[in-house]
Amino acid sequence: MTTPIPRVMVPGSVRKNEVFTVKAIIQHQMETGLRTDSAGKTIPRKIINQFVCRYGGLEVFRTDLHEAVSANPFLEFQLLATENGRLEFSWREDGGATYSLFHDIVVT
Amino acid sequence: MSLTRRHMLASTIGTVACAVALLVPKHTRGADEVEDFLFRLTGRKATPSNRLHLVMPAEFSTGYTVPMSISVDSPMTEADHVKSVRVFAPKNPLVEVAQFHFVPGRSLPRVSTRVRLAAPQHVVALAEMSNGNVLMAKAWVAVATNGCL
Repeated sequence: MTTPIPRVMVPGSVRKNEVFTVKAIIQHQMETGLRTDSAGKTIPRKIINQFVCRYGGLEVFRTDLHEAVSANPFLEFQLLATENGRLEFSWREDGGATYSLFHDIVVT
Repeated sequence: MSLTRRHMLASTIGTVACAVALLVPKHTRGADEVEDFLFRLTGRKATPSNRLHLVMPAEFSTGYTVPMSISVDSPMTEADHVKSVRVFAPKNPLVEVAQFHFVPGRSLPRVSTRVRLAAPQHVVALAEMSNGNVLMAKAWVAVATNGCL
């Protein structure tokens, strides 16, 4: 199984107290646990169950995902540009594996 | 039973009422089911509100990646903000879709994503506000294929 690849889009520069849009996606099958393989055996559930965005160490946006979220889960959300800092995006998979991306944001 | 005019009138009205009830389109008939479903699931009474916007296509060709946008009209101050929005798809085999958590002064109560739907249904969103109120909005989505398989 290939390692899920996450990608994030954040604007290059933001002005202080401006709202900016973040788009985050991770390649993931999001196996619901409802499908059966050709032998008739149920394919076990394995999904990304949580996405967290931290800005300067503080959690600013969190999503709990369930089986009804589409494969390659895509999230578009909006944050307030408060100060220079590090944006951390992490996805947690069933079983505990986490995938993270970082982006240092410059607020002018 | 005597075939009086009164009897004929009563049975005609009864038949017509039943026929009209059956002819009502499915997605308006199911409106009360949604409220009951939510109360059984969360134990909270939710008030339908047009401050909570659940935007989804009325018809979509595939149930695998149905776009969904949520936004709430809220100042997002410490005193008055949206704590979380939960989304449910009552006709899916597993009804919980997602929960989104927002932080006042840091994130806007808006999110877009894509979901799986098993059948045409009312997708329901519940917004829990900082003052304890629970707002509700629903959107009818007619998907052509079952995206949950």
